[in-house]
Amino acid sequence: MNDRALMWKNLWRKPVRTILLVVSITIAFAILCVMLSFNDAISNVRTLPTRMITLSKINFTEPLPMAHYDRIARMEGVAVATHMNWFGGYFQEMPRGFLPVFAVDPETYFQVYAEDLQIPAEQRDAFFNDPTAMLVAAPVAEKFGWRVGQRIPIKSNIFTNSTSGDSTWEFMLAGTIPTPQGSSQTGSVLIHYDYFNETRTFGRDRIGWVPFLTTSAELNDRVSNAIDQRFANSADETSTNDEATFNKSFTAQLGNIALVITLVVGSAFIAILLIVGTTMALAVRERTKEVGVMKTLGFSSGRVLRMVLGESMLLAFLGAGFGALLALGLLAMAAGAGGGGPPVSLAPSALLWSALIALGLGLLTGLAPALQAYRMRIIDALGRR
Amino acid sequence: MASLLNQIGAVTALNVRSIPQRGWMSVASVVAVALTIAVLLFFLALSNGLSQTVKGSGADDVAIIIREGSNAELNSVVTRDQLSILTTGPGVAQRQGRPSASGELLVIVDGVKRSTSTNANMPFRGIGAEGLALRRGVRITEGRMFNPGTNEIVVGAGLLREFSGFEFGKSIRLRGTTWQIVGVFEAPGTVFESELWADIAVTQSLFNRPNVYQTMRIQLSSPDAVKAFQDWAKTDARLNGLEVLSERAYYARQASQSSAGFMFIGLVLGIMMAIGALAGALNTMYSSVAARSAEIATLRIIGFSGWAAFFGTMVEALMLSAAGGALGILLAFVAFNGRTTSTLGAGFTQLVFQFQLSGGIVFAAIVMAIVIGLVGGFFPGIRAARQRPQLELAAQ
Repeated sequence: MNDRALMWKNLWRKPVRTILLVVSITIAFAILCVMLSFNDAISNVRTLPTRMITLSKINFTEPLPMAHYDRIARMEGVAVATHMNWFGGYFQEMPRGFLPVFAVDPETYFQVYAEDLQIPAEQRDAFFNDPTAMLVAAPVAEKFGWRVGQRIPIKSNIFTNSTSGDSTWEFMLAGTIPTPQGSSQTGSVLIHYDYFNETRTFGRDRIGWVPFLTTSAELNDRVSNAIDQRFANSADETSTNDEATFNKSFTAQLGNIALVITLVVGSAFIAILLIVGTTMALAVRERTKEVGVMKTLGFSSGRVLRMVLGESMLLAFLGAGFGALLALGLLAMAAGAGGGGPPVSLAPSALLWSALIALGLGLLTGLAPALQAYRMRIIDALGRR
Repeated sequence: MASLLNQIGAVTALNVRSIPQRGWMSVASVVAVALTIAVLLFFLALSNGLSQTVKGSGADDVAIIIREGSNAELNSVVTRDQLSILTTGPGVAQRQGRPSASGELLVIVDGVKRSTSTNANMPFRGIGAEGLALRRGVRITEGRMFNPGTNEIVVGAGLLREFSGFEFGKSIRLRGTTWQIVGVFEAPGTVFESELWADIAVTQSLFNRPNVYQTMRIQLSSPDAVKAFQDWAKTDARLNGLEVLSERAYYARQASQSSAGFMFIGLVLGIMMAIGALAGALNTMYSSVAARSAEIATLRIIGFSGWAAFFGTMVEALMLSAAGGALGILLAFVAFNGRTTSTLGAGFTQLVFQFQLSGGIVFAAIVMAIVIGLVGGFFPGIRAARQRPQLELAAQ
């Protein structure tokens, strides 16, 4: 029987106790993974250092005149500019059918967000050539079971369609956008600005905000100053920032998410640390006599230490592994139930953190009992009752 | 019966006195329960505070008119014509010879959140001349109300506590115009405290939304008048597509929308952590039973019943979880009850509110602690009761 087998046997000598410990560790790691994945999904959208966004200085919900776009596009240092408008879209009913629909200028939008719009050429052309076409992030199409080529009625909770008189527009699904981890297009639905602008009853010729690429990231500050000064003291003053800054201030609106995650996950881990730590100490104390026998048989102190530490490591990683699996299941369930936002998948960074924390947990809970076993003298061990 | 009670008392005393022997383990399970309860309370108090603030904003006898299907004011449109038709409805209260009604427009402006120094959405509301009178419980605490027709703003005290940029006396530039902050108002426990108010006509023209209203508020003679007003509005074709409801009903709907998410997170996390804490409690109690096997066996041999052993274990578990629950509730009261915070509300604007524990929430926490104690004591208790005295003693 080798050391590993002995460790495994030791772990399961009180199966109920071990199962209970594994369950509580599993839960703590599941909470960790789910929360980190959500945090990752909302905060770690991939950004380009040269991508900047101009919006109204008052607030990003305040529209800008179309003329602003033309002026920004011609500014020195601006490589290509596009514009976006919030449509307030939903499918069938709120909140389940909530859709982040943006009315965009297709050609320039594909230039500014090129790296996240890797779609087949025929789907792209189908989108470009049909004014009533739309592109949908793949998970969104999947959620509602839409097929390419279908015409989908999308409602707006802001605008009214002048051709139908109600708030419904019909769009032809031209293609789907794949959304790998960190994609800026997660959950997006894209429609043609021109078609939208011609058919809406109010707010014509105004746009939401202007994303653009600078020719070099070093020019960012100069370009943003030039743009904001260009429109200073006009009725529509602007605020220009790089994409990362904009995203950060947007998610900060929800509240201090990182702090809440730290508090909740922290308290869950303090709780299991205490439970697992005291139980491991107890388990080793129960085995005092055995440790004496093992040492008598010639097991070195170092080997005994490794075995006790190994047992707590095994416990921690067993729990962490099950926790990650549970998190996977929970996230899949959440995606299926479908609230407002796009589906969230298990973040690789969450797995990395889990592994690191499991290592720390195993060390922290096993170290004291392992040292106790390491230092134990045979005569005391066998003499203790 | 009396003897069973005596026996239970004796075993319980024995258990309780031996707790210090398992000091660390007992402390660990108490802390685990306390943390579980604190996390549960955190989210429930958050959800409750948010929901109370939104609900508390509405009056029974004020009708609010929005576009049908718009779930927030921001998406609603009410025309000027509809506005004047609505003031002719039945039961509309009059003040100084004029209908007590206010057409309103909500735009969003940026403020800076004090705690994070990031931009945040502030609701900027243009209100009619009757807008202040329509909201009972609102009073100006500093400066004065804005003068109609001027670029003057009054700011909610709650907004000022959490966000900077709109301090009393300051002048700010919006859309190329200078606005003066001339007053601060308090509206305790309502959404209005996180708003900025200005004159409706000035707001419409300076924000380039001529003659556009989003909502209308009308003071009715009594809460019962709402029904009659609703029925009347349905009969007029010019009011098609508008929804009339009491302010209270409107905010109750908003409250459930904004707080349901936090409630859900709180319950899911609470239950998950409770399972973890339960595992800790079970471990503690199993080792308690194991550590006292000789004593229990001795008691059984001198005639104590299995029930006594069972209840003794049960009472110990309940005491530990009760201590944990009490600690958790204490932690909640000290750490966050009454603390002010803000989040993005249903109207896509920041809403300032307080963490608010309630009797029901504390009760839910107590129930959870008791359940952990009961389940955590039950199975180890059965093991204690089932011990075979002779075998236990022989093994020693």
